[in-house]
Amino acid sequence: MKPLMLVAVLATALHITPVVVLVKRPDAVQALLPGADAYLAREVHLSNRDAHRLHQVVDWSPEDGVLTLYTGKAGATTVGALEFVRVDSPHGPIEVAVGFTPQGAVRGVIVTKATVETKPWVLEAVAAGLTNHYRELKPGEAPRGAAALTGHAGSLAQYIAGEVDKGVARALAAYGTFYRSAKT
Amino acid sequence: MSYDLRRADARIKWLVTCLLATLGLSYVFGAVMVALYAGFTPERVAATYAGPGMTMHMPPETTMTVTRPMSMTDFARPETHAVDTNLLIQDTHVHVPMYGVIAAALSLVVLGLALPQAWALGLITLLFAAPWLDFAGMWLTKFASPHFAIVTLAGGWAMGAGYTIVATLAVKQMWFSQVEERS
Repeated sequence: MKPLMLVAVLATALHITPVVVLVKRPDAVQALLPGADAYLAREVHLSNRDAHRLHQVVDWSPEDGVLTLYTGKAGATTVGALEFVRVDSPHGPIEVAVGFTPQGAVRGVIVTKATVETKPWVLEAVAAGLTNHYRELKPGEAPRGAAALTGHAGSLAQYIAGEVDKGVARALAAYGTFYRSAKT
Repeated sequence: MSYDLRRADARIKWLVTCLLATLGLSYVFGAVMVALYAGFTPERVAATYAGPGMTMHMPPETTMTVTRPMSMTDFARPETHAVDTNLLIQDTHVHVPMYGVIAAALSLVVLGLALPQAWALGLITLLFAAPWLDFAGMWLTKFASPHFAIVTLAGGWAMGAGYTIVATLAVKQMWFSQVEERS
């Protein structure tokens, strides 16, 4: 009967957990684009050359070659920009919302989706102050949220913080290369 | 063969029953998850796995930007759960070994059932073929044609059928069959 016991344990250990919403997208939009009453979706259809350029910087390309960045406006005033970025990890995908001020710095970061497995790690990392370490970052700078958690959170929280770092790095590269440059 | 669940010790019968019940529970929630994320119709499965990949995305020669207005309702709209190539690679990597382990566990139960050899071979084949069909359908839907969504559905139903047959036969033979004691 040992094989039966073993397979039951293995089946449990290998089972992947589904995606869970931590913060609803509208709530993330309101938090990261405060005061906005109108929104624009800017879809950037990347050429091969630009997709390659982005890939060289952050080792990532959007699956269908389209980056979507959102602009929030309050009347005629631009409140900022926002991007939702998905990061695939061996434990399932997470989604990170990265908001930018009109001056081009990170206003805030919210982890909007995780999996049942990674949710406690994300919550622990966020409770340890992970997202505070991304504020004021600008394109060209590297997010170091995972490193900042050393000694303040467990190893799994630090691991998932590394995945959040990747999402923020992708958002910074996409925003810096294809949003700010297009606006100016 | 000496391994016969009908004559097994009550503790072994109980272990197999618990295993089947646990797998059954996971299958029920697996079905609920499929209903939530992919659906049970070929159209919904095709929308989940074919996605933009089937539109033969051609990158423009120079990067183009399209701007459109959004409302808060648009942000709140439920997204179609799309499985792109990266996620499908990951899903295949994680799920296929697990399905193999489950098929092996159920096959071990099949080996302990009183069945003609052809039936046992057929059941074991069904248990292993079902996940193959399931994932082959996903990959074919993504890269060959959305019509292959039906293969994924067939794989899913085959998995459910395989489990139901094994569980029913096992419970019947272990707990409700009269077996003559060997002399």
